[in-house]
Amino acid sequence: MKWIPREIETYLSAKEYVDTAVVPLYLVDIGGQMKESAEAAEFITLLTNYLERQFTGRLLLFPPFTYLTKDASEVVSQKLQAWENEIAGAGFKHIFYITCDLEWRNHEEELNGTVIWLPSMPFEGMNDSQKVTVIDRQVKQLLSLFTKKWHENSLNNS
Amino acid sequence: MSKERVSRRQFLSYTLTGVGGFMAAGMLMPMVRFAVDPVLRAEEGGDFIATSQKVADLTDKPVRVDFTFKQKDAWYESEVTNTAWVYKEGDKIVALSPVCKHLGCTVNWGGDKEHPDQFFCPCHYGRYTKDGTNVKGTPPLAPLDVYPYKEKDGFLYLGKAKPRKEA
Repeated sequence: MKWIPREIETYLSAKEYVDTAVVPLYLVDIGGQMKESAEAAEFITLLTNYLERQFTGRLLLFPPFTYLTKDASEVVSQKLQAWENEIAGAGFKHIFYITCDLEWRNHEEELNGTVIWLPSMPFEGMNDSQKVTVIDRQVKQLLSLFTKKWHENSLNNS
Repeated sequence: MSKERVSRRQFLSYTLTGVGGFMAAGMLMPMVRFAVDPVLRAEEGGDFIATSQKVADLTDKPVRVDFTFKQKDAWYESEVTNTAWVYKEGDKIVALSPVCKHLGCTVNWGGDKEHPDQFFCPCHYGRYTKDGTNVKGTPPLAPLDVYPYKEKDGFLYLGKAKPRKEA
């Protein structure tokens, strides 16, 4: 489900089925890396939207968590931990972060959720069907990761 | 010179009728076009969207067919790609929507190893038989939607998915 009123309504009426949160992490650079930062944002947006389409009924796609390049990574990590507490408190058992920023590798242990790092892909000069093919390939791998996590967790609970 | 001479009065009435006729035609033509237009457009195929799937290549095994169309969301126009599971049953073509009737995930053909001949929803383990009927005891409460289809120049055209009434 997406972060739009109509789907949030569905979420509120079917909470017990939705146990997975996906939070895109956007690094915003307003300097020399501005274009790369925008490319990464486009990639993450398309990817998370496609992922949401596959798993509409079980995951809620949160609005992106954004931060600046010059922000100290400890501070950013703490902020995300605050998000995590809030999300976990709302009853989400699985939390996934999707990012193109390598820096999160160093903060993975501070988070309970799963950080998925993907190399950004520039879509320049690609038409829509090529974009879909690229995203489709990436998401296929994520799908099995998600189902694996769900499966592990259902085994732990039983 | 012909013997029947055209009088000034006759000449004027001929030219006036001619010019008047042109003017009337100029006014009426767009009006007629306007009135007839919806009829002409319906013949072009209505809301059916072309897919790249050749009808001759279809078998009794469901295949994934993607098709793209433009969708307007407030002022934001985007290209939307939809998917259908298409297979042949005798002479008939069956095109099913992949949207799970439970909470809207995307279902896959043979996604569950234990039930390779069923549609499977990975979110809450919902299952549908090949004709799209929901399997009792799994979360979905309705059968998969069906796309109306058309065949044109050997290619498959799909319309808007419609829900089925019978469960």
